Amino acid sequence: MTRLGRWCAVAVAASLLVVAPLVGRWLPAGSADAGPEELLATARAAVDRPWSGSAETEGTLQLPDADRFGTVTALFGERTDLRVWWRDREHWRVDRLLLTGETDQVRDGDTTVEWSYERGEASYSREPDLRLPRPADLVPPVLTERLLRGVGPADVTVLPSRRLAGESAAGLRVRPPSPLSSIDHVDLWVGEDSDLPLLVEVYADGEARPSFTSRFSDVSTEPPGDDVLDFEPTPSTDVERDDVLDIADAANQYAPVRPPATAAGLALGPASDGAVGVYGEGTAQVIAIPLRDREAGALREQMAITPGVEQDSERTVVTLGPLGVLLTGADGDGGWLLAGTLTRDALEQAGRDVSTGFVFVEDRR
Amino acid sequence: MIRAELTKLLRNRRTWGTIAIINALPTLVAVLLAITDLGPRPGTGPAFLAAVLTDGTLFPLAALAMVLPLFLPIAVALTAGEAIAGEAQQGTLRYLLVRPVGRTRLLVAKLVAVMAFVVVTVLVVAVVAYVVGVALLGDQTVTVTGPTTSVSGTPMSTPELVGRTALAFGYAMLCMLGVAAVALFLSTLARTPLGAAMGAMTLLVASTLLLTLDAAQALHPYLLTRHWLAFVDLFRDPIRWDDVVRGVLVQGAYVVVFLGAAWASFTTKDITD
Repeated sequence: MTRLGRWCAVAVAASLLVVAPLVGRWLPAGSADAGPEELLATARAAVDRPWSGSAETEGTLQLPDADRFGTVTALFGERTDLRVWWRDREHWRVDRLLLTGETDQVRDGDTTVEWSYERGEASYSREPDLRLPRPADLVPPVLTERLLRGVGPADVTVLPSRRLAGESAAGLRVRPPSPLSSIDHVDLWVGEDSDLPLLVEVYADGEARPSFTSRFSDVSTEPPGDDVLDFEPTPSTDVERDDVLDIADAANQYAPVRPPATAAGLALGPASDGAVGVYGEGTAQVIAIPLRDREAGALREQMAITPGVEQDSERTVVTLGPLGVLLTGADGDGGWLLAGTLTRDALEQAGRDVSTGFVFVEDRR
Repeated sequence: MIRAELTKLLRNRRTWGTIAIINALPTLVAVLLAITDLGPRPGTGPAFLAAVLTDGTLFPLAALAMVLPLFLPIAVALTAGEAIAGEAQQGTLRYLLVRPVGRTRLLVAKLVAVMAFVVVTVLVVAVVAYVVGVALLGDQTVTVTGPTTSVSGTPMSTPELVGRTALAFGYAMLCMLGVAAVALFLSTLARTPLGAAMGAMTLLVASTLLLTLDAAQALHPYLLTRHWLAFVDLFRDPIRWDDVVRGVLVQGAYVVVFLGAAWASFTTKDITD
């Protein structure tokens, strides 16, 4: 073989190896058979069907990094690799994969176990009425179901199909039905074979790139077996039983206050039976959590150094993409933390409504 | 010729000096852990380092996570970079080829010697780390409280642990073979071994840097170092094969392309040294 022939052989081999991974992506996506109404129903129903797969979420929202909200900050501001086994809403396992180990949550009915490899610790807690977001809330079918609450066929338009996770997926663009929402639109694609939402992109007003993305890289509709859904701690595992899951659950159970019935014109949701209020639904929703002095102080300090923050004696507020975060009160005070997908005006109004309208429990009972 | 190359490699004091230096870091870490009993905070430090405080049998994996990103590839790049360019620099390449030996055979012999260096180095890391881990950190988990715990919190028997550890070290060897192929190719081009090794290390640094850039996301699947730490996935339950398989394919592609390029370069090269 000549010198040229040898180098040509190497060049051909290199080209084939570079092109090979792209072949799957170049396969054409089929045209969607289902209409928007049917796709909406399919996307909503996915959360009640079994599936499993690998998912990746990516957020660009640099939330204030306060200790008690550390996981939430990472979830919305970083890339997160997940493995999910989902039987139904009450039986699932979501592994958050890290280079140094993993943190898993396993729900079995009313009990949730959180396993941390690096701590060698399994924490059992009851499933609370209200809590902070966790990885399981952000996998495509679960996030889709939440975002589509209150959305009707008139709020959606069809997008071109794409190939995702090895199958053709029909696209939908969702415009929030509420004018109070800070979300401009949500784009989602539903697999035509799996009937599962495979990609969800959330766009803020005026943003060309999504503020938050959740996608499956591979997915199966086989029901997960007991072998992956049952968690039995090993003899060397430190087992803990927690009365509270996180700061929202703790405040909801023990804070001696009740939020007002409405905030910024949005009604208190049915899940709000304690101190924490959840107002609105779907793309226009805000949570209001009462915080004690020391928790509010630490968060206020972190918010004060967040780019774009506005602070006065009444509140500290910052908007990050579609997510608004507002803490009522000033230094040395406790306060109400409000976080959600409301416009700045609506969030400010909700803050005023909650901070002036809440009551102490003794006043009600 | 292969036997001659292997003998030269194993008798070279620099080979064993390099292996000793690679083992120094994990050994120092084990000593510090044993003295202070302080593990890394969650989310920081190499994989498995937090777990070795209670189970020293896992220390080979922690050692692998420590040396795989930097120490091991540098050593492999230096050794593979020496293969052809070293002979050329010493002026012995012409004499080697005067013998009735084809250039392809010489290249294969050099490749086998580099592979042997990779295998011996990785095995020595595993053995030294196991001995140091058990001696300094103990094997309480296996002998006192039951089986080892997998990354997913499920029990892992000793045979399972040994099998998965063997797979992890085999995977690390394959990853280093990718580096060796690149350095061997550069060794056929460069006039000095240092030039070839520096070229390979430049590729490693560039790969590591590009992996941190979102703007380079389209290149990520092709980067040499992209899946190196995927061996951790072998200790999840169930085992997560996706990244390990992708890692094997990427390393295989580098080996095929760069060994092919080394062959094309060396067999048509004008030998003047």
